Formats: sequence, C-alpha cells, structure tokens
Amino acid sequence: MIRYPINALPGLYKKLHLTVLLMLILSLPGCADMQGLWPKSLPLPAYPADRIERNDFRVHQEEDVIGRLASIRIKNGDTLPDIARHFSLGINTVSAANPGVDIWVPVSGERILLPISFTLPDTRRKGIVINLASMRLFYFKADGKQMTVSTYPVGVGTAERPTPMGKMYISRKKFRPTWFVPASIAADHRKKGDPLPPKVPPGPLNPLGEHALYLSRSTYLIHGTNKPASIGLRATNGCIRLYPEDVERLYANTPVKTPVKIVNQPYLVGQRDGMVYLEAHLPFKESGTANWKKAYAKLKKIEKKSGHALDWKKIKQVVVEARGYPVPVSLVLHDGGMRTADPIKLWHPRKLYGQPEIPAFTTDAWYVLAAVLDDKVDAQRLAAIINHQGPPIPARVLTKDDRHRVLAGPFKDRRAAKKAAKRLKIDLELDGVVFET
Amino acid sequence: MKKVLLVFSVVFALAIAFGGCATKGDLEEAQAREKAIAAKADQAAQDAEEAKMAADEAIMKANEAVARAEEAEKRAIERERIAAEKERMAEEKAQKAEEAFQKSMKK
Repeated sequence: MIRYPINALPGLYKKLHLTVLLMLILSLPGCADMQGLWPKSLPLPAYPADRIERNDFRVHQEEDVIGRLASIRIKNGDTLPDIARHFSLGINTVSAANPGVDIWVPVSGERILLPISFTLPDTRRKGIVINLASMRLFYFKADGKQMTVSTYPVGVGTAERPTPMGKMYISRKKFRPTWFVPASIAADHRKKGDPLPPKVPPGPLNPLGEHALYLSRSTYLIHGTNKPASIGLRATNGCIRLYPEDVERLYANTPVKTPVKIVNQPYLVGQRDGMVYLEAHLPFKESGTANWKKAYAKLKKIEKKSGHALDWKKIKQVVVEARGYPVPVSLVLHDGGMRTADPIKLWHPRKLYGQPEIPAFTTDAWYVLAAVLDDKVDAQRLAAIINHQGPPIPARVLTKDDRHRVLAGPFKDRRAAKKAAKRLKIDLELDGVVFET
Repeated sequence: MKKVLLVFSVVFALAIAFGGCATKGDLEEAQAREKAIAAKADQAAQDAEEAKMAADEAIMKANEAVARAEEAEKRAIERERIAAEKERMAEEKAQKAEEAFQKSMKK
C-alpha cells in the first residue's frame, strides 16, 4: 500500500479541500438558524488513518527523531493489539503511551495516543539495528546522500531465554521455512501435555510464519509469526518476531550479509528542529538502569554545547513515567522558536488491519463453552484474548440473566471443537465444555 | 363653736382612722395581683420545663443525627473499601488474564 505523508498531499486534493472549506465558511454567516449549532471553535481536522507514515522515514543529518504522534478514537469492539497492528506498533508501545486504558476492552469513544514517533538508537546507522528495550527494528539504507530508515515493531526473547546482543549479520533467508523444534521448547511442551513433532512444516501452526531471515548467531532468526498479538511482548525464545506483513517487506528488501546489531537502550536522547527529546522505556528487570548514565551524559553534553537549558524536572518525569515515545525536554522558549507538533487526529479506518473476524453465530455447529462469568467486562476480555490466539480461535460473549457466557466457535465438527478446547486448556488453562447447538 | 370643732375633729379623726385601713377593693386587687403573679410563675416554670424538654429533645436529636452520620460514614467507608476491593480484584483479574495471554503467546 502506498502511503502519502501529510505534507505531500497531491495538489488537486489540496485545492478541492480548500474550495470545500471556503464554501462552507461563506455559507455559514447566511444561516442565522445555524448559529449556536456549531461549537465556538471548530475542532482540528482529522485525517484518514492511511495518510500517516508508519514505517518508512527520511533521516536528516544531525536528527535522531522520526515520525510524529497521532491519536484515534476507539470504536466498539476494538482492542489495543488491533490498533497497534494497524499502525505497525507493538502492544508494548501502545499500552505504555496510554496508561490506564484496558488493553482488551477499551472504552468506546475514548481517544488514544498512537506513538508513531521514534528515537533512533545511539549506535551506527547501517544495516539492521534492533533495540530490545523499545522492541523495535530499524533498517537503515543510504540512498546517495540521503539516508532512509524502515522501522518495524518486534517481539523479543523472554528473561529466561533472552535475545543475544551484539553484532551479527543475515546469513540466509527462507520463504515458508520449516520449524525444527529446539529440544528446550519440545521439553516445555511435553511438560504442558502438548508434545510437538520434531519439525513443523509451513502453515498456520508454524510459529515462524512465512518468512525467515537467519542470523549468523546460530539458532537465532528474524521471522514472522502465527501469533501477531505477541509483537511488543517478550515472548520468544531469543528470536526476533515481526508482524507477517512487516516481515514480508523486510524479507523482500534485505539482502543476505546485511549487518545486524542488537542493542538494549531503554533511554534514548535525540534532537529534531532544535528541540531535545528523551524517550524512556521501562528497562528489563535483569538489565537494571541499563544505559541511563550514558543518556544522562548525552543530555548534559547537549545542554552545555547548545547553551539552551533543559527542563530537568521534565526529564525526571519522562524517566519515571516511561511512556515509550520521544518527549521534548528543552525548556520552552516563548519566542515561538521551538515548538513540537500536536498529535495528528486520525479517522478510524473502516476495518483495522488483521483484526480477528468472528464468524456469524450459527445454530448448526459445534462450540466450546470456555467460561461463564458474572462480570461482562471480564467475559469480553476473555473472548478478546481467545480471539487473539495464534492461530485465532473465534469467540464471543452471550449474555442471559446477568450471566455472561464466553463461547468459542463455531466449529464444523466435534473433532475441531475438541481440538480448540485442548488449546484453550493448554494455552489459557480454561476447562471448556464441548457442545453442539 | 366648740360643737362644730368637735364634729370636725371627730370627722377628721374618723377620716384618719379609716384612711389607714385597706378597703375590700384593695384587698381583691391585691389578691388578683397575687394570682396573676402565681400564674406567671407557673407559666414561667412550665415554659422552663418545656424549654428544658425541648433542649433535651434537641440534644437527643443531635445525638441521633451524630449517630446516624457516624453510621453513614461507616457505611461510606465500607462502600469505599468494597469499591477499592472490587477495583483491586478487577485489576488482579485483568492482570491474571494478561499474564495468561502473554504465556499463551510463547511458541
């Protein structure tokens, strides 16, 4: 899909926009009856969701911050993982930027922040750079004198099986890879009562997805996933996981031998248009304060060199809150010289990319009663979690007499329903009851 | 002349003698005043009693109001505690659900 940045709208579209706006302004004073119907100040215009760039950015010299913040209004049935995927963000980023918003049952009508703005890691700008702390991959490319970067959210290794850091490179690529189950994962699954075969062929059950880029560090890969809701989580065994649509692009554009550097930088300092930014992520428990000393030294150095004071109270607040997006920390001068753009308001797209679809309820099918709950929100949350399994299991809430039943299905036969019930038991520890309607 | 003087003297003496004694009217008037004062005293006593009763009742009502306020406060605290507990439980449930979800996202 071609996405135009806001400032590069085609001329015709701009003219049409202006004509419509002019006609509207001219018509308003003539309508006496309309007075009082309009708000005293018209709200800022909203833009279609696909008008904002989310992956590909130009990198200007001496600048480290790319993209911009946006916001969108939640619609009934949305979940934060759906919103995150549509805008190529990880769930970590969206939930950190919107504290207090229910991940699975956000309030309809609430406007949430989309942090489509990133600080480039403090390292070389060459090939692939992955920042574990921000769970984001940056692919730098020099195009003549111009530098561009493509960036994607990733899922990374758990604390027990962390992603290795350091320099490596892409040793080979494979479309539709076979997953050879490592002994440690096979043992984990055996323990859960879910033994795995020695290898899993390409298909919906393959956790590598459709594209794999093998790293020179043996047994580690950059790959797709059959669990897209895991992007932005520490859920892998050390591999780097991307949304299927993102890994497809990365796969197509990345040649073998591309250098890869993996870093862990929860604190990122950057500059853009004379403004200094600080981006803070919650550091991994095992990495302590990580690179804070280095980031602090950088802030001090910038302050001294530029002669512009930084807002240290704000810096402290940014570190404590760890919202995961670049926040301006320069002391604001009231001469209008340094300003940051407000988040751009986006229209809600007709459909969020990759949002699980629930088949219509039919009476001639098999279902699994996953749970019966008193609280509707709990039931909706559970149904959403089941819907976001990989591969997805359709689920819905049926309410009767103040009891909320979470039903998984429909399934075409008893066997399929029993298989789903087994997955619910193994993955979510739910004791489902299989039945035919 | 002597006779006239005697008559005047007798009349004078009588007048003086009678002037020192209260008449029946005076007596009745005094009695009426006494009764009025007694009635006023009774009224005052009754008023005082009533005032005391009213004050007692007011104190009782005030005490009852305080007791009711205390009860309401207790109920409010309890309600708050229950709400906080519910919120904590909801958060715990959400957290538990999230943990289960994150676990399910592993390979």
